[in-house]
Amino acid sequence: MPTVVRCWRCQDEHTPQVFCPACEALQLLPPDIDYFTVFGLARAPMLDEQALAKTYYALSRQLHPDLHQTGTAEEQEASLQNTAVVNRAYRTLRDPVQRGRYWLELNGEQLGKENNKIPPALALFVFEVQEKLAAVREAQSAGTSGALTGLKAELDQVRDDLDNRTRGLQQKLAANFSKWAQANGSSELLGELKRVLSDMAYLRTLTRDMDKALSTL
Amino acid sequence: MAYTEKVIAHFEQPRNVGSFEAEEMNVGTGVVGAPECGDVMKLQLKINPQTEVIEDAKFKTFGCGSAIASSSYVTELVKGKTVAEAFEIKNTQIVAELSLPPVKIHCSVLAEDAIKAAVADWRDQGSTKKDAA
Repeated sequence: MPTVVRCWRCQDEHTPQVFCPACEALQLLPPDIDYFTVFGLARAPMLDEQALAKTYYALSRQLHPDLHQTGTAEEQEASLQNTAVVNRAYRTLRDPVQRGRYWLELNGEQLGKENNKIPPALALFVFEVQEKLAAVREAQSAGTSGALTGLKAELDQVRDDLDNRTRGLQQKLAANFSKWAQANGSSELLGELKRVLSDMAYLRTLTRDMDKALSTL
Repeated sequence: MAYTEKVIAHFEQPRNVGSFEAEEMNVGTGVVGAPECGDVMKLQLKINPQTEVIEDAKFKTFGCGSAIASSSYVTELVKGKTVAEAFEIKNTQIVAELSLPPVKIHCSVLAEDAIKAAVADWRDQGSTKKDAA
């Protein structure tokens, strides 16, 4: 990648960024800019989500069309277009699974539908939790509130377990990523990263189902 | 997306739903998951140790209509087959029977994987018993 763009005002040549480093004029981001570059971040499947949110809010404020009403046509256009790009980039990068999927795509890989096998122990864990969630739905439709109290306690415990597993996968992702970066992007290690991301996607679906059930208890 | 009649028939009246009792002998269990959709499928095969014929099969699937239909169909398909024959079942057979659209092919892959996992589990049990004896 790193392409070079020219400032519309002072003609400075620089890598794509929201403000010209020479004259600070607002720049139109190229439409094919990658989402990490939008926020001035290195391409990596994990990042500091709080810092990302801060950068996003700061950029959104600086780009706000109200601020550029009296600007040139270039600035008004850049304000509108960049706001759309920044929003899209933020929606993708703030979510670990979407971010991972996007990062894989940048590296020519896809989190496919049928190429990743879930480890048997993880599939069993998900199955057992889904059975508990089914028991909750059953007890709810039968109106047996006694059973629900016990189930809620069980679910709260499973929810903690789920958080621990998710954190474990995030650590594994970070460890595999640094190995991958050190090995200059070996395809074998990319496969390993893909497996971790696919496990993360799997657990995330379960977390959603679970939170939906817990919100009704 | 429109489901085919066969998918709906299996979904509305799934065959062989449930589990075998934990103490039941000669049962192989396979639990497999699909990361993209979050589906999870459990398939159990009750196998005659002498003839290696699958005498009964049960399943339980948490997932979409196609995943449920694929596993339901598989329980019917494997009954009466030998373990070796069941191992040869390909997902394309499930796709053809249920007329699954391309976006649902992974459901049939999951069902094929479930058969293989259940057979592998049954074989493992056999070997541990022999080791213990």
